[in-house]
Amino acid sequence: MKEMIVKVKNVVKRYSEKLALDHFNMEVKEGEILGLLGPNGCGKTTAINCILSLLNFDKGEIQLFGQKMTPNSYDIKRQIGLVPQEVSVFENLTVRENIDYFCGLYVDDKNTRRRYVDEAIEFVGLKDYVKYYPKKLSGGLKRRLNIACGIVHKPKLIFLDEPTVAVDAQSRNFILEGIRKLNQEGSTIIYTTHYLEEAEMLCSRIIIMDNGKDLVSGTTEELKAMITTSEKIVVSFLSLEDEMIDSMHKIPHVVDIEKKGEDLIIKFENGNNNLSNLISFITEHKLTYRKLYSQLPTLNDVFLELTGRELRD
Amino acid sequence: MSHFIRNCIYQGKNLFREGSYTFWVILYPIILATFFYAAFGGMMDPSFEDLKVGVEENSGITHVLEEIDFINIYEVSKDELVQKFENDEIDAFVDDNLNLTVNKSGINQTIIKEVVEQIKQTIKLNRPIDGSEFSVSYVLGRDQESNSLTVIFYSLIAMVSTYGVFAGVETASLIQANLSNIAIRINSTPLKKQNFLIAGVMVSLLLNLFANAALLLFINYILKIHLFNNIKYSTIIILLGNLFGVILGIFIGVSNKKSSTKTLMAIAITLLLSFFSGMMGPWIKVMIDKHVPFLSRVNPISIMSNNLYRINFLGSTKSLGEGVIILIGYCIMLLFASYLFLRRKSYDSI
Repeated sequence: MKEMIVKVKNVVKRYSEKLALDHFNMEVKEGEILGLLGPNGCGKTTAINCILSLLNFDKGEIQLFGQKMTPNSYDIKRQIGLVPQEVSVFENLTVRENIDYFCGLYVDDKNTRRRYVDEAIEFVGLKDYVKYYPKKLSGGLKRRLNIACGIVHKPKLIFLDEPTVAVDAQSRNFILEGIRKLNQEGSTIIYTTHYLEEAEMLCSRIIIMDNGKDLVSGTTEELKAMITTSEKIVVSFLSLEDEMIDSMHKIPHVVDIEKKGEDLIIKFENGNNNLSNLISFITEHKLTYRKLYSQLPTLNDVFLELTGRELRD
Repeated sequence: MSHFIRNCIYQGKNLFREGSYTFWVILYPIILATFFYAAFGGMMDPSFEDLKVGVEENSGITHVLEEIDFINIYEVSKDELVQKFENDEIDAFVDDNLNLTVNKSGINQTIIKEVVEQIKQTIKLNRPIDGSEFSVSYVLGRDQESNSLTVIFYSLIAMVSTYGVFAGVETASLIQANLSNIAIRINSTPLKKQNFLIAGVMVSLLLNLFANAALLLFINYILKIHLFNNIKYSTIIILLGNLFGVILGIFIGVSNKKSSTKTLMAIAITLLLSFFSGMMGPWIKVMIDKHVPFLSRVNPISIMSNNLYRINFLGSTKSLGEGVIILIGYCIMLLFASYLFLRRKSYDSI
């Protein structure tokens, strides 16, 4: 059985009047890539800062590696790597010096440290920039340096707080690939993001957050299975009267119909032959359409059904 | 230990490579020294030879004062005292009880006051005044620029000593997770806050002492103004000034959240204290000494500049002890106040 690395139980955190974490719960097992998914301001970073004991919290309990986490838990901190949301490096140290400085806070042996630094530089692809100061690096390269400083000591548990924000596509893919590799090498990863595709592509398990609460948790498939909609069919009709839309509600398994511009999005609950049922309806009523395609539900649909809002809002 | 040294090296590199730090701490004082030298260099030159001291006829003090080369004695009756002062024929009048009378404040009067104080102390110690060597200890034969420019330079050195304030501010920001992004990362590592802070204080002190040395070498070898005769006591004062500056910076750094406020506070405090200590002209110091003498006694930069002046220019260490105690007191108070902010390990907001 895999070891429980992180256990967060009923944590409440208030900023004056604002409730940032509302009885937040989270469990992470060894070897997982856990995605904390939610819109900006939902409490993802606050959760991480509480877990790391950087922030006080009002109520609840946090354990890392089976022990209570406190600001003085230096032994626990030795096993953790943090990649903060903002690039957090020394502006007047070069790329290599920055990585070496942070590695030195964990690793005493000089030779091991040199090896780790070389590996981290290789890992994030900054070999050609080792003598550069951060201010001379592009946004994407800075993010890579930010990651290198957090993972250089080969931690067991890595917190990555929105590492791909404001990053170009090339660096983004590089980063995501790197995270997967870190996980394959044995690190457990907690990854916060508001990008659905990233969470879906990368994470073995996802917790959806909103307003400081953990709404649901599970694998992508488990989350999608939780909602009523199991299939969406998008049709663009040449012309369609409102009465016809009302009639469409009678098609078996239709749960909702939404008009978005020229597109009509018809949502179906679990059921077979949804597409053929719809096509039969179109043929029967001699309707003409420009396009028609079927979609499986996304995490955005999960979020929409849980909160009534889109994650992208 | 190796952790500590690595911290010192990297914090030192980070600080030394900061362009604004290098400018304010190393270049700016040199520019200021050059400016003062150009602006005030030829303006004021009341040399010791010009000190004119009035004494009563057949006064017992006459033979003592006559021994001091830079003092000229004039016998003056009390009736003609006012007129002699008005005509600037004497700078000060000393009666048989060693009471000093002056009609204005200035450098000459300050020097005469110091001389009289030294004589009083010698008498109190029951040491014979006749044949005493004490007069030699003032400044004679020491090749000094005996003018008001010296006061300005002592103030400048005192101000630069406190410039560790900037490094202190930077160090504090790097360790408080509610003050900077990098502090969030540092606080998530196993590095203990106090270790980072001690390394930061050490590095700040060393870099600032290096900046002090650069300024002193510039003043001594380029401007050819020789300011130091008593290296031991001067070093103590400068070291304490540096320590005060760094700890003041730590306090400003940990007690304010906004970066711009911190820098502004550091500049404002050091400039204001320097202004009151006479850096913009000795007349300010004279005015403060006359009207608010307490301010001079508690202003750390005044304490430093006064003591540097007295130690090196007048050969007097009488206020050194008090100055050292006050400066150490400031350091302890600021350290304690900083600790109140720093002891927090977790924050309410970041």
